[in-house]
Amino acid sequence: RGHGTTDQDGEVVATLCGVVERVNKLVYVRTLRARYKPEVGDIIVGRVIEIAPKRWRLEINFSQDAVLMLSSMNLPDGIQRRRTAVDELNMRSIFEENDVVCAEVRGFQHDGSLHLQARSQKYGKLQRGQLLTVPAYLVKRRKLHFHHLEQYDVDLILGCNGFIWVGEHVVVREIADLKEDEQKLSAEAETFTPIETRRHICRLANAARLLSALGFTLTVELIIQTAEASVSSNVEINDMLGAEFYVQTAEGEAKRRGDLLGKKR
Amino acid sequence: MVGLSEGEKHFIRGGIAQDLRADGRRRLQFRALTVETGIIPQANGSARVRMGATEVIASVKAELGKPTILHPDKGKVSIYVDCSPTAAPMFEGRGSEELSAELSVGLQRCLLGGKSGAGAAIDLSSLIVVEGKACWDLYIDGLVVSSDGNLLDALAAAIKVALSDTGIPKVNVSLNNETDGEPEVDISDEEFLQFDTSGVPVIITLTKRQSMFQAVVQHQFLVNIGATISLVEKRPSLFSGVYD
Repeated sequence: RGHGTTDQDGEVVATLCGVVERVNKLVYVRTLRARYKPEVGDIIVGRVIEIAPKRWRLEINFSQDAVLMLSSMNLPDGIQRRRTAVDELNMRSIFEENDVVCAEVRGFQHDGSLHLQARSQKYGKLQRGQLLTVPAYLVKRRKLHFHHLEQYDVDLILGCNGFIWVGEHVVVREIADLKEDEQKLSAEAETFTPIETRRHICRLANAARLLSALGFTLTVELIIQTAEASVSSNVEINDMLGAEFYVQTAEGEAKRRGDLLGKKR
Repeated sequence: MVGLSEGEKHFIRGGIAQDLRADGRRRLQFRALTVETGIIPQANGSARVRMGATEVIASVKAELGKPTILHPDKGKVSIYVDCSPTAAPMFEGRGSEELSAELSVGLQRCLLGGKSGAGAAIDLSSLIVVEGKACWDLYIDGLVVSSDGNLLDALAAAIKVALSDTGIPKVNVSLNNETDGEPEVDISDEEFLQFDTSGVPVIITLTKRQSMFQAVVQHQFLVNIGATISLVEKRPSLFSGVYD
């Protein structure tokens, strides 16, 4: 007797539409299109909406906003030390409002709020790319969520909360370099993303949009496959979101699943 | 409107500079347009236009009224736009008043011309029934259901289609000898007059940064100035409105 069930005249009846799961004596119904439900260790992509004392508040497509504590974040100069009041005042230099951040779910606190951590090198601010929103249930939990696509020089991060980041590849480097990087960014006029990389980013982003509109589970392989199919069919990047390519992709997937079934038999 | 980080803005700016925007469109390419008519059966004409995630509905209602003393040979048209709170969180309550007013005035200027009536798209004299006594009042209402940029273009397209879908009932007037009294009008349910919409303009919004069409919401932060140009098929001259 768990989520999605109720007791009716002594019988356990489902209240939601979904798959019935049993764990020992607990019976619950798992819906197929549930809202995003964070679990410890999930890799998510969020956007900073507020800076509060010693923490950042991020929006992650959940019913409440997640909290990233200053202490769960690596400091720019890399040394491990106690966070002082100066650090607190300089929080804005690390993350500002509306920044896109990649982090990992640390867990729920006693007061029910969701805490994140971004201690590793691969987490942190995401720049030079675009953020897509897809329904969260289309991103299943896998071993890997960070994908560096070498052939395109593109980073693809599939957040479990449904936020997908497609952007230029960022070399994971020492944090000391970050400061010069920021100066470069602000002084930039023409250090834009090279056109070839941009084309790949757009193609992958459109592939993700297309697959989410079709309702297919998003995996790296499928996204790459769709993007390559669009190249081989000579579909223009913007036409990828048009009706013909939609149909072509759906048919391709149907065929693939048909083959899979055939092989199983 | 969702906020954007500096990194994303930089990326978008690069995209515009390189003529390849976030969804792959070139600077001068439009989003695909979907149009449906007749969605509101009670109205004389209606249309729904979808451009990407932007969705607007326009409806035209015609009622019999009296022409103004200044223009006894012309009918009246009033255009009003409303932004539904479901379109964006900032539209809740009174948040949408400014935008609605701006859109309404913009459309009025494009479709009804200047103060003297010059450059009007809808021929108001075709709306007259009995000169000086009875005319058709057209109430054109636009509703923004969901907003993803480029509202003016979508609304103009919706109004154009709604007008082409409009059927104004034929009116049989029985003449009276009294000059003051109301003439008796018999509104026929069966026969309709179709509007001539070849004169109704199509509105295109250009934004100055590197002239691009169809700025999606993400691009709005770049807009220093946008020019809305309404183009009419028949007339060679352009009527343009500039807005900021």
